[in-house]
Amino acid sequence: MESTGKRNGLVQSLRNFDRRWVFLLIGLGTILPIIYPIGFGVSTTPPVQQLYDKIESLTPDDVVMLSFDFGPTTVPENGPMASAILRHCFTRGIKVVVIALYPIGGRALAVQALNEVAPEFPHLRYGIDFVNLGYKDGAQALMKQMGEDIHGVFPTDANGDPLSQLPLMQRVHNYKDISLVVSLATGVIGEWWANLINSQFGVPVAVGCTAVSAPKYYAYLNTGQMIGLLGGLKGASEYERLLLDGHPSVSAPYNDPTRFNAMKGMDVQTIDHSIIILFIVVGNVAYFLSRRRAARV
Amino acid sequence: MENIIGTWIAALLTLCIFSFLYRDNPFFRFAEALFAGVSLGYYVGQTADQTIKPNLVIPLMEDFVGNLDLIFAALIGLNLYTRYVPKVAWMARLSLAIYVGYYTGVNMVQKLHGEVLPQSGATMIDLVSTAGGQFDWGGFLNALVVFVGVLAVLVYFFFSLEHRGAVGKVSRLGVWYLMLGFGAAFGYTVMGRISLLIGRMNFLVNDWIGGLLRGYPS
Amino acid sequence: MFFRLQLPLILTFIAGMIPIVAFFFTSEATIVKAPTDRLEKWMVIVAGFALLLGVINVIQGNLKKIERRGPGWPYAICLLVGLLVPGIFGILSAFSVGPFQGIGLRADGGYTPFAWVTRFFFEPLQATMFSLLAFYIASAAFRAFRVRNLEATILLVAAVLVMIGRIPVGDAISSAVRPGALASFTEWLMDKPNTAAQRGILIGAALGAASLSLRVILGIERSYLGLEKSE
Repeated sequence: MESTGKRNGLVQSLRNFDRRWVFLLIGLGTILPIIYPIGFGVSTTPPVQQLYDKIESLTPDDVVMLSFDFGPTTVPENGPMASAILRHCFTRGIKVVVIALYPIGGRALAVQALNEVAPEFPHLRYGIDFVNLGYKDGAQALMKQMGEDIHGVFPTDANGDPLSQLPLMQRVHNYKDISLVVSLATGVIGEWWANLINSQFGVPVAVGCTAVSAPKYYAYLNTGQMIGLLGGLKGASEYERLLLDGHPSVSAPYNDPTRFNAMKGMDVQTIDHSIIILFIVVGNVAYFLSRRRAARV
Repeated sequence: MENIIGTWIAALLTLCIFSFLYRDNPFFRFAEALFAGVSLGYYVGQTADQTIKPNLVIPLMEDFVGNLDLIFAALIGLNLYTRYVPKVAWMARLSLAIYVGYYTGVNMVQKLHGEVLPQSGATMIDLVSTAGGQFDWGGFLNALVVFVGVLAVLVYFFFSLEHRGAVGKVSRLGVWYLMLGFGAAFGYTVMGRISLLIGRMNFLVNDWIGGLLRGYPS
Repeated sequence: MFFRLQLPLILTFIAGMIPIVAFFFTSEATIVKAPTDRLEKWMVIVAGFALLLGVINVIQGNLKKIERRGPGWPYAICLLVGLLVPGIFGILSAFSVGPFQGIGLRADGGYTPFAWVTRFFFEPLQATMFSLLAFYIASAAFRAFRVRNLEATILLVAAVLVMIGRIPVGDAISSAVRPGALASFTEWLMDKPNTAAQRGILIGAALGAASLSLRVILGIERSYLGLEKSE
């Protein structure tokens, strides 16, 4: 009787549990691993390996178009992807054309990423090794237009300089001159690269998407409309791991304890996922106990 | 100095929004209203600088006669605003018709050519595969899982037929596939939401408090 | 009546058919490609004007609230100030007026006024507002994620497997059975059953969207013009 009473009290407590305690646990589970990094290992998956291998296969004559299709809300996921892909291209001497199609913040984030990574490669020159064309409205219309004439869509770069003054853009006129498009996307724009641009123009496309969108992109990966996929923070951490294993020369920013990267973020993911799974289990235990009590009554 | 002030402003605004987790309060309401306004203001400024100026103003200034048709585009765009003048509000329909019509046409081709055909084509494949000249059971079973799953899900979404008998059983299988997909989506969603939180906490710990202790970068 | 009803429907049909017809012709067919390219260039400009329509609605609504001293009217002032400051900074910056030289960083690496507001107001507010979702998804998982029936069980098991399989601890757990087993199974779950489900949803949704697009182009669906079918 006493144990039944205790069990009923426990069930009642769990049912009336103030959710602010959940918030506090999640907050602590996030802050503590940031202050005291754990350093869990990262294993890689085929979709990420495929993108890495594709960029490894490119040469300094090839041009990669990196499209910033995300905003400030998803910087923790897409930001490390941008930095890692830029470092990978720059370390291999591959030319990069940066654009931004996401209206809320895409352009500013492209500038921030280039300002973070480009100084690590002082031998690279703007206009010759990489360019930033800035942001443009128009979404699908301008993506299709770039299949004919990129210069018509982006008459100037992000600084307002005419493309005719940029040596790299003298040989990049449309998708035929692009070896790979990598879209770092938070919403539907990544899908447009796969189902509109790859389908109609045949240019290889890879997408670095948020974890929320990742399940959907497997369908495009499976049909060959995409050649690689970075899914959320896990995908970003896998790419960083591959980059560090293949090109140790770029390890300095990843060893800086004051800088955030996706691999450090996976420590937090581990703790928070464990907390949430624990809550799911406890919640279901309380549910089953209350159902058994109701059946007895 | 402006960066230090900016970091403190960003940190205080972050804490104002997080205060909602305890309960609704004026600090959160203030930050929420500011968020709505600044988002729109950013949009206005960016559109002016990145679209209107380079795609309309500069081409007209450089070669007015050669780009006369862009004035027509600008008029179509400005005509959208006649909806706010009751007497001529009907004129906005003309611009809306062109805008909606164009993107609807693009969308139709995109959906059929970019989604229906490739996804259907990837499903209607030879289920039998070989590895090293021998029947590949793994490849066959994997292909069967996908083939059966796609058909079952499509049967579930076919609402013109009542889901009873054989159709009902196949439809139930479709529901199970959908539950697997949604479960996977939930798992990824948790990861995505936690990632957003990591970004903000990292800012508070390393950029704001870390800057206070170690000194802010110049 | 023609200008208010028939003409918009005719314009929708023409504007909709241009990209469809152009799809079937290569770039050498200039008689088709020329109007298509023109229209695509125009749409970039029209999209810029269209996306600002909502701004006017917001300004009107909040001015009315301030005028009437409606509930929360001081916050309406915050909203309008937040809108006008970066908006005006951006417009002045676009045309390089006075200290407003562009919307990006200055040549010395410092922030222009617009870039400063973006970096220290817009980005933190946007990011923090969305990061609240992390707390709510944890709370929702605790309060609502219940094994009520077979379908809910399948959903929960798939969710937990993906959550464990995508974190390093999952590798550590599965190494007791076989190294990398859980990660491989999670990847299989995403690549096969999940793909099947997503593909079915994609095909169904795409067919629905394509049929709606056809209805809009043919003038059967008119709600986007604020008209009923009978009008």
